[in-house]
Amino acid sequence: MGSEEIILGGIQLNKTYKTKERIVRPLQNIDFCLHEGEILGIVGESGSGKSTLLRVIACLEKADSGKLLLHGREYTGSSPSFAGRYMQMIFQDAYASFDPRMKMIDSLREAGRRNTRGAAGKNCDAAALREAGRRNTRGENSKDCDAAALRKPHRRGGTDDSRITEIVREVGLSEDLLWRRPRELSGGQCQRMSIARALCGGAEILLCDEITSALDVTTQAQVVQLLQRLRRKEKVSILFVSHDLALVGSLCDRIMVMKDGVCVEEGSSGKILGQPENEYTELLLKSLILL
Amino acid sequence: MKKIRSPRQKKKILKIRMAAAALAAMILVLTAVFAEAFAPNDPYKTSAALIRTAPCREFLFGTDNLGRCVFSRVLVGARTTISATVFLVAVSFLIGTIVGMLGGYFGGILDEVMMRIADVMLAFPQMVVAIAVAGILGGGLAGAMIALGITMWTGFARLARSHTLSIRNEPYIEAARLCGVSPVEILGRHILPNILAPVLTSALTQIGTTMIGISGLSFLGLGVVPPQAEWGSMISEARAYIQIAPWAVLFPALATILTIVVFNYLGDAVMEYREL
Repeated sequence: MGSEEIILGGIQLNKTYKTKERIVRPLQNIDFCLHEGEILGIVGESGSGKSTLLRVIACLEKADSGKLLLHGREYTGSSPSFAGRYMQMIFQDAYASFDPRMKMIDSLREAGRRNTRGAAGKNCDAAALREAGRRNTRGENSKDCDAAALRKPHRRGGTDDSRITEIVREVGLSEDLLWRRPRELSGGQCQRMSIARALCGGAEILLCDEITSALDVTTQAQVVQLLQRLRRKEKVSILFVSHDLALVGSLCDRIMVMKDGVCVEEGSSGKILGQPENEYTELLLKSLILL
Repeated sequence: MKKIRSPRQKKKILKIRMAAAALAAMILVLTAVFAEAFAPNDPYKTSAALIRTAPCREFLFGTDNLGRCVFSRVLVGARTTISATVFLVAVSFLIGTIVGMLGGYFGGILDEVMMRIADVMLAFPQMVVAIAVAGILGGGLAGAMIALGITMWTGFARLARSHTLSIRNEPYIEAARLCGVSPVEILGRHILPNILAPVLTSALTQIGTTMIGISGLSFLGLGVVPPQAEWGSMISEARAYIQIAPWAVLFPALATILTIVVFNYLGDAVMEYREL
């Protein structure tokens, strides 16, 4: 279980898509919070809004209304580049998440480039936060303060080639794979490589969007073990989206159940799996037992 | 009975076709570049005594109405025609690709404005616009190239835009955005290399059409100004006495056809190879 400090949060998030035929509301008044070092699972059937929530959190899509908070400070409406300083998305299709023409080393270098620019460590960020907080109380523009406060974490102090190699070994891959293109890797290797890319970028939050759904059971288990290890060793916080309730139950500290863009139930894994209060959650559990 | 070939065999055959077409195109380009070194006679030297001489050992393609060596003029004309064509296609390709990529990636008003301009350009037949513009600009190769280029970039822009649209929301582009890669870098490092092949293939197939356009404008007197050698203008000049000296029309026409066939063949081979 993670610490009590809330690292990421969302308040009353709403998102609407308008098509010619109908209006789709993938997010309706969604509230959530993610503690430091915690794994929060988001489950629900297809079209329940899980992936949209991740995309909104990563600023790849803008919410119609609501607030997004990072370290207690609002970052709603920021660019993906800004969000990427703190969080990285691991996509369902690992192959599609890498440029097919680029070698892995180049993709990882690209992710790590920004991480090498600053020289500050985590303490420096804390100092920046404190300084920004002081300025905020003096009535300065809060958005500027936030931007100053939310400079990149630089928790790994730069990502040069030796660090990239180290990270690749950390995720259980051979460094030889760095000189291959995405299609020359297996699905599991490619998914691990995308986790390595996220770490190269200095992410402290991983947004995992159905990352195990395209993998076989053995590889799924390896990836899940890797996430658990990263949470323990690197203190990364993870938002884990999946429709596999059993997997989410075994991996996550808390679970949020979504249906038609609404959070129908939220609680600890034990509570959700043992004593569900919502009918839909019960239905999901029943379908799990039937399988 | 038709022989069934595996994809690997087909690819091998296409590779050979591509290599042969590329070699032929290379020979044509090199001939154009070193035309003066290969030309046996001065292409601009007139001679009253040699007017309309039939092909012989000294004048392989005969002489024209002013006694100029047609073979030498075809060689020197290759430089004008091929270099003008390649330059025009390259510039149109560059402008069109940049415009299409910008419109496709950023969308919004920029895309709307660019694509409406392209629509206006495409609303008129290319040759009609080219004749009108070349007429306004007056004779000369530069005028002909501008006249054709005004509409040509639109095809590349549309193609580049559609390919950019199809990949701009790919996870690897989103991953790059999250990694803090700037839009310019995304366009240059991720989008351009991934859309280059189809747009470049289109450029190759455009070479033949452009060559016809330039030669056509020269033929109409809106392109190259005499006495500069250019295949279209050579045909135009010689058509008045085609019954007396058909070689003066035949050889520049054959050179035009051969070059167009070679570049079209190369374009088709590259396209087929890509599609396999």
